[in-house]
Amino acid sequence: MSLQVICANLIVSIKSFYREKTAVFFRIAFPVLLILVFGTIFMNQDNVRLDFNVQDLDGTDSSAELVKTLEFNPKFKITMVDPAIDAAMYARENKLSLVVVIPKDYESSLIKRIKRKDLKAAVTVSYIYDPSSTSVDTKMQILNSVFAEINQSMSGKPQFITPAQTSILKRKYRFIDFFVPGIIAMTVMTASLFGAVNVNAELRQKGVIKKLSTTPITHTDWILSNVLYQFLLSVISTISILIVSYTVFDVSLLLNLWLPVFVVLDVFAFVGIGMVLTRVAKEAESAAAAANAIMFPMMFLSGTFFPVEMMPDFLQNFSRILPLYYVNEGLRASMIFADNMVALRCSVIIGVFATVVFILGTMTTKWEEG
Amino acid sequence: MTKEAEHAIEVKKLTKRYGDLLAVNNISFTVRKGEVFAFLGPNGAGKTTTAEIIETIRAPSSGKVCLLGMDVTKKKHKVVQHIGVLPQGFSSFDRITVRETIEYYSRLFNCRNTDIDKLIELANLKDKSKEQFKNLSGGLKQRLGIAIALVNNPEVVFLDEPTTGLDPRARREVWDVLLGLKKKGKTVFLTTHYMEEAELLADTVAIISKGSIVAMGSPGDLIESNANYLALTLGAVDEKVFEIIKKIRFEPVRANHNSIKVKVEHPEDVQKILNTIKDSGASFLSLDVRKPNLEEVFLKLTGAALREDFAEKVAQ
Repeated sequence: MSLQVICANLIVSIKSFYREKTAVFFRIAFPVLLILVFGTIFMNQDNVRLDFNVQDLDGTDSSAELVKTLEFNPKFKITMVDPAIDAAMYARENKLSLVVVIPKDYESSLIKRIKRKDLKAAVTVSYIYDPSSTSVDTKMQILNSVFAEINQSMSGKPQFITPAQTSILKRKYRFIDFFVPGIIAMTVMTASLFGAVNVNAELRQKGVIKKLSTTPITHTDWILSNVLYQFLLSVISTISILIVSYTVFDVSLLLNLWLPVFVVLDVFAFVGIGMVLTRVAKEAESAAAAANAIMFPMMFLSGTFFPVEMMPDFLQNFSRILPLYYVNEGLRASMIFADNMVALRCSVIIGVFATVVFILGTMTTKWEEG
Repeated sequence: MTKEAEHAIEVKKLTKRYGDLLAVNNISFTVRKGEVFAFLGPNGAGKTTTAEIIETIRAPSSGKVCLLGMDVTKKKHKVVQHIGVLPQGFSSFDRITVRETIEYYSRLFNCRNTDIDKLIELANLKDKSKEQFKNLSGGLKQRLGIAIALVNNPEVVFLDEPTTGLDPRARREVWDVLLGLKKKGKTVFLTTHYMEEAELLADTVAIISKGSIVAMGSPGDLIESNANYLALTLGAVDEKVFEIIKKIRFEPVRANHNSIKVKVEHPEDVQKILNTIKDSGASFLSLDVRKPNLEEVFLKLTGAALREDFAEKVAQ
């Protein structure tokens, strides 16, 4: 192993990198843009407001009081609908997801129930809804709980079960706090995988590797300098992501030694996969296609963009065999939950995987022709 | 390197198989120190495979190859220190400049004393030293490849088809660089399918066909021993000239544009043919007498042309 040779390779790789504007964009600017876009989209997720419409057919003080009660819920944003029009048609024409219709006999029934203690007196509040709306179920569930609470208080008996909330986190975290570790893991994966594929497949196809094989550079020098180069770029992109996340979104993440550990393991694992792919797929184009075929499922099924728990059981099981899942879990465990045990468990799993694929990649990467 | 190594390259009973394909078939040859040795043959003849085995890129199926006395299969790391290689279709890092590329390769060889400016000058790349590789023309790329092959001041330089795909001007520019190497006394192993290249540059030519060496010697000796005749071409001849030449027991061949070709053994035969035509009152417009070249030697030895364009030329 020669330090001079490794440095020479690093210099050439870095010069090639900054002279290729698209590489700079995809390596540094793209993950930052992802953070900006998704961070902005989900910035107000915790203060989300549920819009719906109310048609008050009763038009009495009591029905107005009910509307006020609903408006008291900070999650609801209510728009009134003229009682003279057909609510279903209005909802269809105006593409409304939910119209709550208070019936005409609301006040009279309420009086019967409260003053005359007539337990048979009841009203039906109708939900006219668009089943294709993704939020309508949530809206109806919250409304049901509001109405259940009203019914319960009308019964005059105290609640038997009272829910109490205790967060497992020391402070309140937002979506962006969960998103940043996932983006770091994904960026390092993508760059390491494609970096290895491009360097090895493209340079081999162009004949550069053949030329290098007639010089004193060794296999180990070449692979080590490539890993160092990928690590260097990963550090730059991780720092860029963190700077933007802190300055624009004021994220609260724990930065400790686990971060460089997972970045290094991420680099080794995916450079290893890239080297294996390059050997299996002879042409640069097919190697890149194979890298895409690996990258996309990994990106969407490893919990980078949304929690794995949202997926069906069989996909959750599949996620747990993906290496990126353990990088995501490990980074979140260390950066959000301060859970060293989970971080350690994930680092061991990804570490073993990285070792195996990297050794395999090193063994399969041959300079000498057949 | 053994001190007593007599030859720069020694190849003994070298064979290379790719599955059922026999690419190199039991060939043996030696290259003297300081000579330019050309491997001449058509595409697929086994030139590059042989060169790449000597350059340590490929492993032989059988046989022994020594460079400066070192077995190339056993002492790869030592061998590469003494060679400079311009591989076929040379390429480098797209966004690295000419100067940076030479510096990079010189660092790989740990050569602190490499005179980068001198190499740039040798390859005639002074004006292009700050140009990125991707912006160079084919000829400039090849010249850079030659400069890189010299960064470690190698004892043996391998040039695999250095002018293939270049236009005539770029080819001549590369030849100038190669003539410079010859003057410096470098041992050069050149593979080519251009006979004029071999004839101009090589001290020894080995003609390879279908994996076997069919002839070897200096260009002059090869021509002398395999094509010892003169080619007489008469242009725009009268109809009766063909019969006149036949009558005096030569074998004329009709060629294009109403011309006739005749192979003659002695210069006096040319005079005899011309006198006979003159005496018969027939006429012709042009006359060409020339010695055959390596391409014709190759054609005679293998029954195949080196290049398609030459095959067409011969057919005409």
